[in-house]
Amino acid sequence: MAGNSSLYLRRRFTNALALTLSTMATVLGLIFLAWILWETLRQGLGALTPKLFTKITAYGEDGGLANAMVGSLIINLIGILIATPIGVMAGAWLAEYANRTRLGESIRFLNDILLSAPSIVLGLFVYTIIVLPTTALTSGNTTFSGLAGGVALALIALPVIVRTTDEMLRLVPSTLREASLSLGIPQWKLTTQILVRSARSGIITGVLLALARISGETAPLLFTAFGNNYMTANPMDKMSSLPQVIYQYANDPGEAMHAIAWAGAFVLTMFVLLLSLASRLVLSRNKVSHD
Amino acid sequence: MSGSSKEHIIKSYDDELTRLTGEIVRMGELAVSQLEAAIDVIDRRDERAAQHVVNNDDAIDLLEQEISHDVVRLLALRAPIAGDLRNVFAALRIAADIERIGDYAANVAKRSIPLSMVAPVSPTSGLGYLAELAAQEVRDVLIAYRDRDAERAYQVWKDDAELDEAYTGYFRQLLTYMMEDPRNITPCTHLLFMAKNIERIGDHATNIAESIWYQVNGEPLTAQRAKRDFTSNPELTKLGNKD
Amino acid sequence: MTESAAAGIHPQSAATPAPIAPTKIQVRDLHFYYNGFHALKGISMDIPEKKVTAIIGPSGCGKSTLLRIFNRIYAIYPKLEAKGEIVLDGENILDASYSMNRLRSKVGMVFQKPVPFPMTIFENVAYGIRHHEKLSRADMDIRVEQALRSAALWDEVKDKLKQSALGLSGGQQQRLCIARGIALKPEVLLLDEPTSALDPIATGRIEQLVEELKNEYTIVIVTHNMQQAARCSDLTAFMYLGELIEFDRTEQIFTKPSKKQTEDYITGRFG
Repeated sequence: MAGNSSLYLRRRFTNALALTLSTMATVLGLIFLAWILWETLRQGLGALTPKLFTKITAYGEDGGLANAMVGSLIINLIGILIATPIGVMAGAWLAEYANRTRLGESIRFLNDILLSAPSIVLGLFVYTIIVLPTTALTSGNTTFSGLAGGVALALIALPVIVRTTDEMLRLVPSTLREASLSLGIPQWKLTTQILVRSARSGIITGVLLALARISGETAPLLFTAFGNNYMTANPMDKMSSLPQVIYQYANDPGEAMHAIAWAGAFVLTMFVLLLSLASRLVLSRNKVSHD
Repeated sequence: MSGSSKEHIIKSYDDELTRLTGEIVRMGELAVSQLEAAIDVIDRRDERAAQHVVNNDDAIDLLEQEISHDVVRLLALRAPIAGDLRNVFAALRIAADIERIGDYAANVAKRSIPLSMVAPVSPTSGLGYLAELAAQEVRDVLIAYRDRDAERAYQVWKDDAELDEAYTGYFRQLLTYMMEDPRNITPCTHLLFMAKNIERIGDHATNIAESIWYQVNGEPLTAQRAKRDFTSNPELTKLGNKD
Repeated sequence: MTESAAAGIHPQSAATPAPIAPTKIQVRDLHFYYNGFHALKGISMDIPEKKVTAIIGPSGCGKSTLLRIFNRIYAIYPKLEAKGEIVLDGENILDASYSMNRLRSKVGMVFQKPVPFPMTIFENVAYGIRHHEKLSRADMDIRVEQALRSAALWDEVKDKLKQSALGLSGGQQQRLCIARGIALKPEVLLLDEPTSALDPIATGRIEQLVEELKNEYTIVIVTHNMQQAARCSDLTAFMYLGELIEFDRTEQIFTKPSKKQTEDYITGRFG
């Protein structure tokens, strides 16, 4: 009896200890998140005015970030629009056709390398394959463009989408495949109409996460979209983006510029946070309806 | 092969089946001792002992109820199949047969009471032989049941013809006595009924043998049964006509 | 082999209980290999038409494998190989020339867990039909209703055909899967432990359905539930370690199996 109760006490102690430590770790993480939000808000509060959303960067201290926001949206959209179809198809191919084959495994491995490739390298790559050749065509006018930025971001989003699509499709129970095939439904119909549909929420989550990931990227845009102090919606034109303007303003000696950069950082952080929340929402809503 | 020599994965299932077999064997032993006691009281012309035998039949009835209960429980909770099912099914049927055997033994004891109130008649002693044959059949068939021995059961089943034959002879003997002297009619009629009861015990022993056969082999004992009970033959009532 | 079977002269083997109906599927010396592992070792059996044949046996005995060869669903995985003959209506379905499309429209399958497609109830049934036949809108409505009625599901879903099939209960989903299968008007229906994920009431409904469906379909059911095999099959096959140990009328198997291994398994004496 005595042995038992001491064992029980020890277990309770271990349990309490583990619980305390993990709670502390969580709180620590949350503290930094709250701190970041608080700090960006505090520092940027002065600049967080309607002007921020209406004026362009050309006015400097008196301006806002409207052109950078629009640019960011367009570049990100281009990136996602390029990466999503390719990524979903590649993921589907990996999961459905190349699963458990040597080729499939190698491609999965390469995709993982691409996933962790430094983004500046991807920026330079796009600079080399798009910006430089087109510059040569236009006899010396460097042709930085929103499109090139979008392509660079697509290269970053692609492996994320490939990976999540692959994972999500492989999570679909194999009985669903067997059930479809046993009705005589061919593989391509099965993949495109049934499997992708049942993994839809997971794939959407992957796309949203990829969007969150690329919307904060600065480095690949420096050599591709370059930046533009004026408002433009033409993807063939130089284009500014939020991270790039933040980077630029943060390097500026002017205090007012810093405040605008902080405000931009706050907007960007909120955008990423909302995207993450949205992806969680999609995932959880779908879980309920699936079981 | 009846069932298997292997044990069930669920041990308590085996315990319950073993218990069922034990109950049947115990019930059978009780019935045999009832039969022996019944014959004993006839010889001793002991009314009080006879009444005792009659009362003892309740114990057998109780055991039968217990077995029925166990069988229903087994069917409901274990859903026995194949050999186990035949085992449980046979137990239910055998219990009913033994219960009837007990009833007949009690009947024999009951009739010994009026029999002991009239002057003894000589054929009374012949009843003991019949009873011994029947008791031996029941003992044998119980051993066959305990050992799951279909061959032994079949032997009992065949041997019942001997009892039938003895009964037919005894029947004839009683008729002769009654014709000789009408004062013999009362005791001889009692003896006739008692003999019939004992003969029926043999029939139930053969029923048990059939159940054992089914339990072990999974098929009915279909061989044509040798009919040697000729008492229903009208020719026999014509005395002196036998050849 | 085929001639002697047709003439009713069966060799003395587990494959041949007294014929109770014309043979629908004739399995002859079937071997199956998983990555070289010998999973089925020379199975021969005659599955009668419009009867329910149950296959029982401990896990890993090859019963599901056998079922999955009947519609060649195993072929979607690499490194699996079947040798021997499975003759369906006079043709060997293991022949490479046998059309997979034709096979799958003749042999339907229902799985252990209900797997409705992520579509509406109506679409779940219509989807398979659409692949095999071009039907007008009105004809499709009729076909879907027929299938749902045959699967004893119509009354429960007729008012919500446009709702997602994922909202149905497990038992309803399983009947939907059966409806989906029979909508293609197959001749053989394979059921792979169709009730193992269902409660007793839903199980009872499926068993009742099997009883009704056998008037039109040849049914092969793999089950772990001995009582289920006893309740709803006409013939029962017992498999062990990739071999067919005994194949006989269900009544015979459950009252007096002829093989000791069968008896040990069904009475719970294994191991």
